[in-house]
Amino acid sequence: MSGAETAHPVVVALRRSVGTATATATSAGLAFAAIDYLGVVSVLAYAPGATAALAIFIGGLIVLLVSGIFSELNGLYPSAAGIRLYLGRAVGNRTALSVTFTYMTTVVLVIAADAFLIGAAVRHVLGEPAALAYVWIAALLGVALVANLLGVRIAGWVQTVVTYTVLAGTAVLSVVALFHVGGAFQHPLNLFGKGGFSGIQAIAFALFLYAAFEWVTTTAEEARTPPVITRALFIAPVLIWIVSSVFALALVHLVPFSSLHGSAYPQLLLGRAALGTVGELWMLALTVLTALNTFNGGFLVASRVIYAAAREGNLPRQFAWLNLRAVPWVAVTTLATVSAIVAAVVFATGQWLLLVAVGATIEAGIYAIGSLCLVVLRGRETRERPFRLIAGKPLAVFGIVLFSVLFVATGFSDPKNAHHFSVAPIGVIMVLGALSTAYVLIFVPKLQAAAAARTAAARPRRRPPRPQAAAQEPAPAAGSSRPIDG
Amino acid sequence: MANWDELAEALADYTVSCNTNERLRKMQRDWSRTLHFVCADTGSAFSMLVERGEILSTPEGHVGTPDIVVTTQSETFCDMFWGDLNPVQKYLRGEITVKGSQEDVMRLDAISYVIWPDS
Repeated sequence: MSGAETAHPVVVALRRSVGTATATATSAGLAFAAIDYLGVVSVLAYAPGATAALAIFIGGLIVLLVSGIFSELNGLYPSAAGIRLYLGRAVGNRTALSVTFTYMTTVVLVIAADAFLIGAAVRHVLGEPAALAYVWIAALLGVALVANLLGVRIAGWVQTVVTYTVLAGTAVLSVVALFHVGGAFQHPLNLFGKGGFSGIQAIAFALFLYAAFEWVTTTAEEARTPPVITRALFIAPVLIWIVSSVFALALVHLVPFSSLHGSAYPQLLLGRAALGTVGELWMLALTVLTALNTFNGGFLVASRVIYAAAREGNLPRQFAWLNLRAVPWVAVTTLATVSAIVAAVVFATGQWLLLVAVGATIEAGIYAIGSLCLVVLRGRETRERPFRLIAGKPLAVFGIVLFSVLFVATGFSDPKNAHHFSVAPIGVIMVLGALSTAYVLIFVPKLQAAAAARTAAARPRRRPPRPQAAAQEPAPAAGSSRPIDG
Repeated sequence: MANWDELAEALADYTVSCNTNERLRKMQRDWSRTLHFVCADTGSAFSMLVERGEILSTPEGHVGTPDIVVTTQSETFCDMFWGDLNPVQKYLRGEITVKGSQEDVMRLDAISYVIWPDS
């Protein structure tokens, strides 16, 4: 055991700290993005009619297992470094780095997907030509880029209000739609109606609706007390389950699946079907609001991870360059550029459902890896933690198996046609994973060697030697030191 | 294990390096925070009061309500304040623990990065 771990836990009240309501909003806000509306349609592709609500419920139960696993890991390592730290301790630094880089691509995918979806929704409501959607996408990403470069931060309470508004607004409109005259529930318990494997695929896509809720663990350092994050990890999935379920049921109730399937804005179709133009504008407003969380949270989290990786010597040091507002501007600009490129590819190909499948697959993989971390660390860490999952080891082993199956289920799925299998999602992930691993194995050692050489050449150790140590150390060679810039 | 005299010497050098770095002062002009530090091995504690990017004082013991609490070994603190180690590496290995917002954690590291870009 090293470093700070030898210390007794320090219980101090910070001037500013995060309570349960804010942490829950952070968790739910990270998970519930515009792409979740499409996620519900993907569930519907495999679970016909009201069966989708059953799949979302089962997905929610499985996510509670994830809540337990990440609560215990977070209790052991309450750090913004999150999964990077758990993985590093469980399976080693190189694997942790490869997985982290692959994981970070989901942030880029979600930012790109949301930019595309919001742009498409705005263009649709304004009745503009399809080609203008990309102008809206570029404008949205441009605003997010400039705001981030200027160091504009949305206050915590604003994010909390936005998240609860989006969740409540979606739920209210869905309930209104459910009471609308003229619909009927179909196939309420037909989980395997589209083939023996379709039920598993539906549950795997349902899992995507909750994806990223576990990122709230990165705020563990500002939590008022350790149980705050645990509570958020258990409450946020329940909120998402309620909202996603009523939204799915409302879609089934009012909008034909044939209309939903080819649409990038199912929420607008529901709004129009339920309340006409008012409903459509209502859902557009909520869609735009999700951008605040996605762009603010996504850019912030991802750029800081990139900054830390560059400072650690695992990415080119240019990614740690700061502007005069203490913003890692190369990291932020690169994120915006890559997101714009991915959004352009999605715009040109119309493959937005592929993003959902890739995101769902990566999340299932991350949950399997999180379960593996718990199994390994249960054997190594005997320290007390604020939360200990009951029957943690067998449940974590079960998690490895379950999430591996769901990883395969979504990895070979084709949400455009539930009766087909496709290698596209797993192919994209294999390419991303291979690139990450190759980078970690080939380039990271070179970067670290260069950084070590630079540090050695730049200056000698500044700390004065202790008297007894000074007597034993040889005098530095002439010219080996130079003044330090102040 | 470093004693308080060694820590105080390191803190004095760190304070001068911070307060005389114009770029850092400009970057941190909107950053006013109270920091608490805890030495995990010796149990000793000290504070740092920062006002608009300027380190006003680094008294022994804990002063005021903190915005950030940093805990690690006394030796690590000494090396960190002398600029002889990269705090991010220690942090990502869990050897430095921090309580505070992610933004403040990054700002704290940014100080070391701007003063000693090659650390």
